[in-house]
Formats: sequence, C-alpha cells, structure tokens
Amino acid sequence: GFGYFRNFIGSKVLSEADMDNALAGMKDHLMKKNVAPEVAQHLCDVVSKSLVGTKTGSWTSIEKTVRAAMEDALRKILTPSTSVDLLHEIQRVKSSSTPRPYVISVVGVNGVGKSTNLSKIAYWLLQNDMKLLIAACDTFRSGAVEQLRVHARNLTKLTEREGGKIELFEKGYGKDAAVIARDAISYGRDRGFDVVLIDTAGRRHNDTRLMSSLEKFAKYANPDKIIMVGEALVGTDSVQQARNFNAAFGVNRNLDFFLISKCDTVGDMIGSMVNMTYSTGIPVLFVGTGQMYTDLRTLSVPWAVNMLMS
Amino acid sequence: MVLADLGRRINSAMSELTRSNVVDEKAIDNMLKEICTALLESDVNVKLVATLRNNIKKKINFKDQGPNVNRRRLAQKAIFDELCALVDPHINEKGEGAFKPRKDRSNVIMFVGLQGAGKTTSCTKLALWYQRRGFKVGLVCADTFRAGAFDQLKQNATKAKIPYYGSYTETDPVVVAAEGVARFKQEKFNLIIVDTSGRHRQESELFAEMVQISEAVKPDQTIMVLDASIGQAAESQSKAFKESSNFGAIILTKMDGHAKGGGAISAVAATNTPIVFIGTGEHIHDIEPFTPDQFVSKLLGMGDMRGLVDH
Ligand SMILES: Nc1nc2c(ncn2[C@@H]2O[C@H](COP(=O)(O)OP(=O)(O)OP(=O)(O)O)[C@@H](O)[C@H]2O)c(=O)[nH]1
Ligand SMILES: Nc1nc2c(ncn2[C@@H]2O[C@H](COP(=O)(O)OP(=O)(O)OP(=O)(O)O)[C@@H](O)[C@H]2O)c(=O)[nH]1
Ligand SMILES: [Mg+2]
Ligand SMILES: [Mg+2]
Repeated sequence: GFGYFRNFIGSKVLSEADMDNALAGMKDHLMKKNVAPEVAQHLCDVVSKSLVGTKTGSWTSIEKTVRAAMEDALRKILTPSTSVDLLHEIQRVKSSSTPRPYVISVVGVNGVGKSTNLSKIAYWLLQNDMKLLIAACDTFRSGAVEQLRVHARNLTKLTEREGGKIELFEKGYGKDAAVIARDAISYGRDRGFDVVLIDTAGRRHNDTRLMSSLEKFAKYANPDKIIMVGEALVGTDSVQQARNFNAAFGVNRNLDFFLISKCDTVGDMIGSMVNMTYSTGIPVLFVGTGQMYTDLRTLSVPWAVNMLMS
Repeated sequence: MVLADLGRRINSAMSELTRSNVVDEKAIDNMLKEICTALLESDVNVKLVATLRNNIKKKINFKDQGPNVNRRRLAQKAIFDELCALVDPHINEKGEGAFKPRKDRSNVIMFVGLQGAGKTTSCTKLALWYQRRGFKVGLVCADTFRAGAFDQLKQNATKAKIPYYGSYTETDPVVVAAEGVARFKQEKFNLIIVDTSGRHRQESELFAEMVQISEAVKPDQTIMVLDASIGQAAESQSKAFKESSNFGAIILTKMDGHAKGGGAISAVAATNTPIVFIGTGEHIHDIEPFTPDQFVSKLLGMGDMRGLVDH
C-alpha cells in the first residue's frame, strides 16, 4: 500500500503530512494481519511521534524509514520486560530445601486450545524429567475429563522408556474447580510431584459469573504461573479477552504470560498476539503451532515481526 | 446481543447525517468513514469494507442526481442494501433455498470447521432442535482424532436423549462415519448428523480426509461451524472449506460472547453461503435460527427499513 513513496529518496525532514500518507497504508497492512484497528492506530501514532521532524538518511526512502520504525515499535510491544526461564524456576523450587509442587494453570475462552496446549507443556516438562500431576478442573464441558485422561495415557506411553511420570487427578463433573485444584496440589505435595498442571473450563470473558469464580480459583490454587491461552484465529475481541482475564484474579494477581495457539492456521495473520500484549503488557511466552505434542515453541520476536511486516 | 454495538454506531453515523443541514460530499464522507471504522472494528474483512465503501459512494453519486432527490434517503437505502448484501448471499434469487430436512426420508448432515469452533456442541444442539420438531435423529462421531471427542459427543447426546454412534477403537473416521450412517439409515432415522474433527486449510491431508468422509456419507447438507470471534483469517479459511466440502450453510457459534461477528460475516460474503443458525451459549438449548434481513434490521435497530426500501 505504500509503493508511492518508494521513489522518494534522500535526506528530507519528515512532516506530519508525510507520515499521514505513509501510515495510512501501514495501518491497513497491519489490520490485514489481524491487528485490531485500535492497536494498529496506536502503533502508527508511536511511529509518527518518533519520526516527525527527523531527517531520513540520505538514500533512504520514507517507506524504508517508516518500516524500520514500525518494526521497532512491534518489537518493543512483543519483547517481555523480564525474561522468563520456566524450567529454571521449576528446577529451583524442586531442589530447594523445602520442595513443593510448582503450580501452573491455563485459562481462556472456550475452545482456544487450553487442554491441548496444557498437554504439550506436559510433554515438554516430561522430557525434562519432571514428575507431573494433571488436575482436571474443567468440571463442566462434556468429555473434558476423558480428554485429559487420554492425553495422560498417551504421554505415559510416549515417555515410558525414559521413565516419564504423569498422573491425572480428577473428581469427575459438577464440582467446584477451586476445591479440586487445592486438593490436587496437596495430593501432589504428599506424593512428591514436581509440577501440578491445572486445566480449567473455557469461559466467555463477558460472563461475569464465570469470570468472578477465577478470583476464588487463584486464591485456592495460588498458581506460580497463570497462562492465558489465546488463539491466533480470534480477531479484535482478543484485546478485550486479554484485558478481562488479566483483571479477573483480583487486585494483587495478574496473568503471567500468554500462549498463542493455532498459529499454524492463520498464515502470516498473527496480529492477535500483538493485540493481547498491547492491551495488557503481559508477554507471550509460547506459541502453539499444531495439534501434536511437539507443536509448541517459545515465541521468537524476530520471527513474529517478520511475519507482521511481510 | 452481539453486533448491537456495531448497529448503534452505524445508526448514529446515519442520524448524524440526518441532523446536519447540508448533505454534501463531505458529510457523506464523514458518515462513511464512521461506518467503515465500525465495520473494521467488528472484524469485517479489510478488502470487503473498501468495496462496501466504494459501492455506497457510487450509489449516492450526487453529480448524477437531479436537484430534487432526497439525499438522506438515498444514502440510507444504499447503506441498508449494502449491509444486507453482506450477510445475505442471495440464496433465494438462485432458487436454491436453505436446505430443509424431510421426514419421509433419511437426511444426512455433516459438520465441518476449524479446531474448537463449536462443531461437537452445535451437533447436539441441532439434533435436539429437530428432535423436538418430531424428527428421529441420530448422532455420529466421526472425530477419531481429538482426545475425548467420542466421550464429549456421547455425554452431550445422553443429556439430550439422542441416540449416538461412535467407536473407541476404530481410528479411521471414514469407516466410523460410513458405519454410523448406515446403521441409522437401516433403523429408519430421519436425520443423521455427522460430527468431524477440526481442521484447517494449511493441512491438505486433513482436507483430503474431510472429502473422503463426505464421499462416504453423501451428506444432503454440509454445515460449516464458525466462531463469531474469528478475525481476518475467516475469509481464506472459509473459502478453502467451501472449495473442498462445498458446505451449504453456516452455523455461527458463541454469539453470546462479546465479539461482533464481522469476521464471520466476511465468511458469508466470501463463500456466498447463508448463516442458518446461531449458537448462544454452552448448553444444549442455546441455539436460534438466523434470518439475514431481520438480522440487519435488528443490527440497525430499525424495524421499518424494509418498508422504506421496498418501493
Ligand atoms: N491447528 C491447531 N489446532 C490446535 C492448536 N491447539 C489446539 N488446537 C485444537 O483446538 C481444538 C480445541 O482444543 P482444546 O484443547 O480442547 O481447547 P480448550 O480451550 O481446552 O476448549 P474448552 O475446554 O472446550 O474451552 C482441538 O481440536 C485442538 O486439537 C494449535 O496450536 N494448532
Ligand atoms: N459460550 C459459548 N460457548 C460455546 C458455544 N458453542 C460451543 N461453545 C464452547 O466452545 C468450546 C468448543 O466447542 P466444541 O463443540 O468442542 O468445538 P469443536 O469444533 O467440536 O472442537 P474440535 O472438535 O476440537 O475441533 C466448548 O467449550 C463449548 O462449550 C456457544 O454458542 N457459546
Ligand atoms: Mg479444555
Ligand atoms: Mg469436536
């Protein structure tokens, strides 16, 4: 959309008008990548502010200058302010003088991939010699417990030879998720599990009843990490999803990071991760790239920026 | 309700025009800008919004109009028509009509869609909808891939008291689908609904599998299930599903959510296929039929728009 500026070469002081033209194309470009209009506008404003009044380098087009600034803005949004080394943290708790299970929980709206990606995390932890307990705290959706049972069985088979240890803690349907989570953790503590992975039911972020139960959940389970699973397919709603989940655990508790699932289904339209980090300041740690246990990666920011700018 | 916010904004942009003293190009441009922003924020496809804007502009080109023409009315009508065109694929003009199962034979409906869209949940909802209208309905679980898929369908079906078919041991979905449909046909069921696993266009093997299941069960109707919160990927995914499965209807799920459903509307436009039902919750009764012009009228909060438009 901004080919017009390609011919504009040489040092030039950039005016607001230059910016408006170049950035209109850029905003469209970002929205096609599934970046929400509100977020695309913010990014354009940031770029505009950083460039108006500056000089383009000699032999540099406005387009190139704007592109570089936009890449920068995207990189800043996507790069976490503190790095998370999950394995290291778990290891530390495990080898402390008072070991206890490290607790990780997944939350998110319906059908985004919470249970599947929880199982992928389980596989990754098993390969790092962790003893795992999966807590089936989705006590609402049909088949949710059986789904996890199948994953636990598959993962046991897959890692048997290396001595993988994984067990399912479940109390069937209809019970209070927070209570089951608490019981699972004490069960895990008594039996020397390294990590308790808690699955939760999908819930609409505008369902106040279900959202408010997350506060009790956080109190009872007190997870070391709360991961929100958001899917790459979702559009502008991702902004509000992230905000509402981040606010659901009470004043003293936030999300720890996002896992963006289904990145394999959107091609280069990976804007939803920008929407979610923009609206909360919470970083993306993992991306889901398929339906197999190995389809989990840590986010590469250069890859993401590249996709968004392509 | 979803889209209410979009409707409100389009409406206020239109009434802004009604209030302004002069209806000149600038006023029209301002209104169009407002409407397009609202559509984009509801996930309507970016290219589609551009087309819509151009179409409306063309229709209300003042230079070609005489001095006595009612410009406000012209603008309103153009907008209403374009919005209707967006959600209504003119299925009736071609005389095809949405598929209606008949009680004097066995009808087969097959569900397809992206991962987690709400297929399995919607299968049971639709089955129950028709069962309550006197159909003898059976559910077939042809998802042999997702962990716990059969248990999910089984528990839903049991809750709704609907007979079901599936297998814990057979791994080929084509086999299960064929067996299940054959069994229910033999037992003279009127309506057989086949659930399949989630898939996406990037994995051609999954699409090939969908085609095979379809060839095995020969559905009278294939329904694509779409999540109302889907964004810009809606167009390419739904087009690919259309090409491979030739689905004839769409069910829009999770309309109880906060999303505005614009991505799904883009899918309608991209595939020329009508939405027939919407899902409005996680429970088995949370389903409603969908009609496009009612939908747009409701969207704009204007019951009398049809009257204005028809003459
Ligand atoms: N292509 C693709 N599919 C995925 C990915 N992650 C999950 N899925 C699929 O998404 C569907 C839903 O996954 P679940 O794990 O059941 O989702 P959930 O969030 O637990 O769903 P609820 O518990 O019902 O809210 C399944 O078909 C998964 O195989 C991914 O990264 N890529
Ligand atoms: N709020 C709400 N949730 C829904 C609706 N329809 C389905 N869901 C939820 O969405 C999630 C996914 O639904 P499923 O029916 O398992 O989706 P699916 O398309 O069969 O998923 P796969 O088979 O894994 O591809 C579940 O948690 C459902 O309860 C709806 O209309 N509203
Ligand atoms: Mg789940
Ligand atoms: Mg399913």
